[in-house]
Amino acid sequence: MIRLSPLRRTSLQRVAFPLLVLLSVTMIILGKADQVMLESLRIAVADAAAPALEILSRPLSALADLATRARRLVSVYQENDRLAEENERLMGWQQAALKLASENSQLRGLLKLTPEPTATYLTARVVANSGGAYVRSLMVYAGSENGVARGQAAVTGDGLVGRVSEVGSRAARVLLVTDLNSRVPVIVEGSQQRALLAGDNSERPYLRYLDTGAAIRIGDRIVTSGQGGVFPPGLPVGVVASVDGGAPRVEPYVELSRVGYLRIVDYGLADALPKPVPIVPRGGRRGERSADGQQARR
Amino acid sequence: MANGPQMASRPGAKYGVVLKAVTAPTRQRVDNAAARLLPIVTTLMAMIISIQPAPIPGYAAVAPAFTLMAVYHWTIYRPKLLPPLSVFLIGVTQDLLTGTPAGVSAFVMLLARAIVLRLRRHFVNRPFPFVWIGFTMLSGGVMLFLWALYCLLDRTLIDFRGTIFRAVLTISLFPAASFLLGRTQRSLMSTG
Repeated sequence: MIRLSPLRRTSLQRVAFPLLVLLSVTMIILGKADQVMLESLRIAVADAAAPALEILSRPLSALADLATRARRLVSVYQENDRLAEENERLMGWQQAALKLASENSQLRGLLKLTPEPTATYLTARVVANSGGAYVRSLMVYAGSENGVARGQAAVTGDGLVGRVSEVGSRAARVLLVTDLNSRVPVIVEGSQQRALLAGDNSERPYLRYLDTGAAIRIGDRIVTSGQGGVFPPGLPVGVVASVDGGAPRVEPYVELSRVGYLRIVDYGLADALPKPVPIVPRGGRRGERSADGQQARR
Repeated sequence: MANGPQMASRPGAKYGVVLKAVTAPTRQRVDNAAARLLPIVTTLMAMIISIQPAPIPGYAAVAPAFTLMAVYHWTIYRPKLLPPLSVFLIGVTQDLLTGTPAGVSAFVMLLARAIVLRLRRHFVNRPFPFVWIGFTMLSGGVMLFLWALYCLLDRTLIDFRGTIFRAVLTISLFPAASFLLGRTQRSLMSTG
């Protein structure tokens, strides 16, 4: 540590404060105007911090595991009964599924349908969240070294979580479907209505660009449409939770705030997403709005 | 709360430091050097804790501003050991790690530090409720400011409820954070 006389130190601090305030304001403005420039810095910091964050997140997740285990122990009998019942029901479904699968393959054979590309999975631990009411993203401890690329889908067993928006060599950022800048082309199952699932930082994203008079009911399943080529079609996203007052709101299948691990899925579609544009005319912190938005406006 | 008497008699403390530098054994001087880093280290830790994913529903949106608590605490009790540069660097790191626009946390925390520094004499050597009221006003102001700033940056009216929850959670967790910071301060900085 450099020893300075108290007087010099005070005067140094007096200069440092306004300088640093100015610097942070400059960073905010620059980050808003030119999104690519700060991205590399963000990736570098994420890469450097990810291993440490991964270790630090362990005690917390271990504690959570312990709590879950204790809770399960209490309800083990009811749980067993419930599972036995469910198993019986699922056996019925299995028979149905097997029948449909063989029928499906026969029909595909008849139609000479080209098979969809197979997906590869990668499981990654969530090491940091966005912490705050204004950005919805997660940092995962997996990067380009592990084969993660921009635009890949992040899912759990329940459904879609978001997509990879920034990739470092060891860490990547996943933009959640609830983020203000997230736009996902979707289909309302049943009515086959196409729409755009738009986040607004609330727990429930809403549907945009629906046909007027479209019959949307509470409980309708929402899946990705595959339009825009970023996500494959048919990934489960959520169910319609409310329809009153204009835009229907969608409850995601995945409880986004409790995701501890997620799967990054490579469908071989990652190249579909254009690189971020340096200057975005309106909103869109990372250029998503213009990327996916144009798709859906048709 | 903690170390009030020492803070109150600052001119005397200066001589105390000089005297110790001459007479203190090496080991103690090493301890002092480590203790001087305590504000920066604990603020950094608070930042890391605040970005940890917690398996609580809806946590991310209302994650308490632990970093702000640490900045407030040290600005009151040991302002010289948490200089603006460290506040800035910790703030920028937090922004970069959480994906929020870079500079926002740094800017807000630098302002918070400057405000608290100016009003410091009202909180030093006062009972804890005063300190808590001070923090309530500060974090209320900070949350409101952040909300307005993000509305401006995103050019939309963002739902205010998340901000309110976050402010309430931050304010109600402050006593615990203050207690922990005070305990650490007393046990490690007793000579400082």
